[in-house]
Amino acid sequence: MRMTRLTALMLACASLAGAQQAVSSSTGSTLIKNATILTVTKGTLEGTDMLVQNGKITQLGKNIAAPAGARVIDASGKYVLPGIIDPHSHMMADGINEGSLSVTSMVRIRDVLNPTAVNVYRALAGGVTAINILHGSANTIGGQNATVKLKYGRTTEQMLFPGAPPGIKFALGENVTRKNSQIQQGAQRRYPATRMGQEEILRDAFIRAQDYKREWEDYRARSARREANLIPPRRNLELEPLVEVLDGKRLVHAHGYRADEHLMLLNLATEFGFKIATLQHVLEGYKIATEIAKAGAGASSFADSWSYKIEAYDAIPYNNAIMLRHGVLQTINSDSDERVRRLNIDAAKLMRYGGLTEEEALKTITYNGALQLGVGDKVGSIEVGKDADFAIWSNHPLSVYANVETTFIDGEVFFDKQQDLAKRAQAEQQRAELERADENRTTRGDQTRRVILP
Amino acid sequence: MRSRLTRPVMLAAALTAGVATTAAAQLGERVIPGTYAITNARIVPVSGPSIDRGTIVIRDGLIVAVGTSVAAPADARVIDGTGLTVYPGLIDALSNVGVPARQQGGGGGGGGFFGQQSAAQQPALAAPNSQHPVGLQPELRVIDVLRIDADAFEAPRSAGITATLTAPRDGIFMGQSALINLTGANPQETLVRSPVALHVGFNAVRGGGYPGSLLGVFASLRQMLLDAQRYRDIQAAYARNPRGMRRPETDHSLAALVPVLSKEVPVVMHANAQREIERALDLANEFGLRAYIAGGEEAWRIADRLKRENVPVIATLNFPRRSGTASEDADPEPLRLLQSRVDAPRNAGKLAAAGVRVAFTSGGVAMTDFLTNVRKAVESGMARDQALRSLTLTPAELYGVADRLGTIEAGKIANLTVVRGDLFNSAGRVTQVFVDGRPVTVRAPAAETAEASVASGTWTLTATFPEGERTITLNVRQEGEQLRGSIQGALGSGDINNASLSSAGELKFSVPITLGPASEEATFSGTLTGNVMRGTIAIVGRPNGTFVGTRPDTGRPAGRPAGQRPPR
Repeated sequence: MRMTRLTALMLACASLAGAQQAVSSSTGSTLIKNATILTVTKGTLEGTDMLVQNGKITQLGKNIAAPAGARVIDASGKYVLPGIIDPHSHMMADGINEGSLSVTSMVRIRDVLNPTAVNVYRALAGGVTAINILHGSANTIGGQNATVKLKYGRTTEQMLFPGAPPGIKFALGENVTRKNSQIQQGAQRRYPATRMGQEEILRDAFIRAQDYKREWEDYRARSARREANLIPPRRNLELEPLVEVLDGKRLVHAHGYRADEHLMLLNLATEFGFKIATLQHVLEGYKIATEIAKAGAGASSFADSWSYKIEAYDAIPYNNAIMLRHGVLQTINSDSDERVRRLNIDAAKLMRYGGLTEEEALKTITYNGALQLGVGDKVGSIEVGKDADFAIWSNHPLSVYANVETTFIDGEVFFDKQQDLAKRAQAEQQRAELERADENRTTRGDQTRRVILP
Repeated sequence: MRSRLTRPVMLAAALTAGVATTAAAQLGERVIPGTYAITNARIVPVSGPSIDRGTIVIRDGLIVAVGTSVAAPADARVIDGTGLTVYPGLIDALSNVGVPARQQGGGGGGGGFFGQQSAAQQPALAAPNSQHPVGLQPELRVIDVLRIDADAFEAPRSAGITATLTAPRDGIFMGQSALINLTGANPQETLVRSPVALHVGFNAVRGGGYPGSLLGVFASLRQMLLDAQRYRDIQAAYARNPRGMRRPETDHSLAALVPVLSKEVPVVMHANAQREIERALDLANEFGLRAYIAGGEEAWRIADRLKRENVPVIATLNFPRRSGTASEDADPEPLRLLQSRVDAPRNAGKLAAAGVRVAFTSGGVAMTDFLTNVRKAVESGMARDQALRSLTLTPAELYGVADRLGTIEAGKIANLTVVRGDLFNSAGRVTQVFVDGRPVTVRAPAAETAEASVASGTWTLTATFPEGERTITLNVRQEGEQLRGSIQGALGSGDINNASLSSAGELKFSVPITLGPASEEATFSGTLTGNVMRGTIAIVGRPNGTFVGTRPDTGRPAGRPAGQRPPR
């Protein structure tokens, strides 16, 4: 990896954060003065004050008086944007794929989260406050997601997004069939090997889920009649989440690239009476934009990545704009621990390709993501009563010159550029001391660092 | 259980004890301990205040008297304890002593971690009639596979260890451990208590099947515990009234979890990082299990929670060290990681100070470092009495044998550790241990390193990848437990690093190899026996390979595991 100045900067940040010298966090009041507030849902408010109390946005307006003890930030010339939401991430996960079976709905990303993952801090420095951590795309029905607020330095439990509905990953297309190309000698090929098989796997799984649901309904009915010697059915962790999908209680986030496979999934969902929350990647979404909108599914795509794999050869730059103009709830995701830091630039690309308005572009990385993850009533826009999840930017966030100065989640500061800069010397000194400790010396010393001569 | 001995037998024992020990052990006969008195010794009984100058009387494997006014019986062999300190026999609260290592790949503690196994490879323990995937056999008992190799007892005894909880090496539901004394001619004779605990590791046993990842590990643990709850209820219903009810299916794996669900059997959960410990505790709470944390490197970070939930920690003495140098292009190591290595020796002290019960496990550390690292823990802030308790009474309590072991009190098993000087002083030397009342003179620590250079030599390795076979030459020079060396041949040339060879013959090293267009770091892990080494080659992002290596016979005793002493 080549180290750019930016990554060097991020590393320095990471070092600080790594020592868990959490940037000062107070749950008290904060008053942001004289900012340009990009509410995203209610227009742009110039020269406006914003009061944050007990983790919520409590007041927006001119000349708000600071309550006693409130921290006051002069944001003249600066911009406030709701916290960016990344609807597709694999950050923080110590395991991404349980690729052994074609249906692994029993596995949970929540079980394997690493709250100390340094990428969380890097994402905060990009103004991101919430992410949807998904299972990988190795199998047709993957594992359960975790929706997380990036409260770096806290425990996993404290980072889980309160009240976010649960979700599950599905995957279609070549990532699923490609699993078989990596199979070890002597090991069995995993079914399915084609898109036809993927459809069959889905149909089979949901028929089994329907049977399982009936089995429990039957048991509960007999139990209500107080029948003797009743033994409850076996709890099946594979089928329970699929029953929740059938009942509309669990959001389906379906990985796929080609229009035909997404269309298949939308039809199959209709057949079983559930909705798809989001089609992920969906680079051929423009071909079926009407159908996606009609099915009420969201779409979460890349701003570019055209032709980056076989399935993406029919991708076009205007994909997002076309879907959005057809009424699809549209978001941009990173699917990357690195790109997550500059989703604002990805949003700006949608203005270049498709002529989205500023607000439409910003919604694809904020409010629309909140809606797709079922937390639109809590985050995604600057409105009184919502969670105080936002960042203060040095410039308009759609500008390449924009940097995040401070990132807030629930009214607490989780990234502050000035504090970070101030602590770097100290962090470097701490690093130097730790490097000298006996435990951190290698037995081989520096001899392994080979000098490569030109 | 030990049987009571009759007086004539005791007399015979007293007469022949010393010589009989070795002879009888070789004949596989029951060894009969005799009567001993250690006089004029400083005694640290743990159960009460230290005795500056006192006598301990041992008879028939038991401590029969301790005190200042105790006289040595006429039939006792008297050991002058002047200058010696006698402690309760130390307990290694978690090891794999006597548990066979897997034949291929895996490479020991933590198994599965080092790489993928081919379908043909089996873990060390396997349950032929289990209906559950490999790695999910809670019914396995270490006592059923334990092999007694007198050599395997020597290294721990020379570190003052007299008893250990020996546990299965790998798996998810790894199986059930046994507390054994480090003497005896057969497994039954060593046994103090079995089963003691069910062990849970969180490493998938890889072979392509489910569960193949940490995600699947948690899901399969959860499903199996749910199944066990249901199994318990159905079995109970059938036991109450079988008439009119179809006979429920028997499942030994689920049956083994029933006493775990009722907290009769504790669950030792192997976890080191804070998040690993938190995950383990979350799972234990979800099912109301009695959890112990084993390893627990970062346990101090959540000492409050451990205290609140009354979870003891079997803290590792295998303190992490930086191994190898990262490449120039790699990110610098996070401060947290650098800090965690420095913090490791402070872990046990901080836990004890917070009121968490702590026992020590060797955790795979070289036995020559066992006491060195206990002393490091003390230098890093742990009170000496706490450290001693963590080596004696606390593990005895955790494993339900405090009525037999852990203190120097009349009526307890005569497991004693005798030290010239003080155990916590770097000048202190273990001179002798008593195990089951049997005296064992320990060898000088220097002997181990001198005899352990068994990996040295020129090896011819055949490495098998999906791409085909490659032959390389591996030159190894062993200094103590450290290996240096290099490879040459069809995979390029380079120096090996992070290399180690455990006393059980578990071998591991990393080396840059050229298999594709670029050089990649490959980790070799396996076992070394005689003039053969074999195991797995793990390369990030590629399917694993395997390797088999041989070297010309240089007159070393063949078939004897590496790192162990030759028979005398």
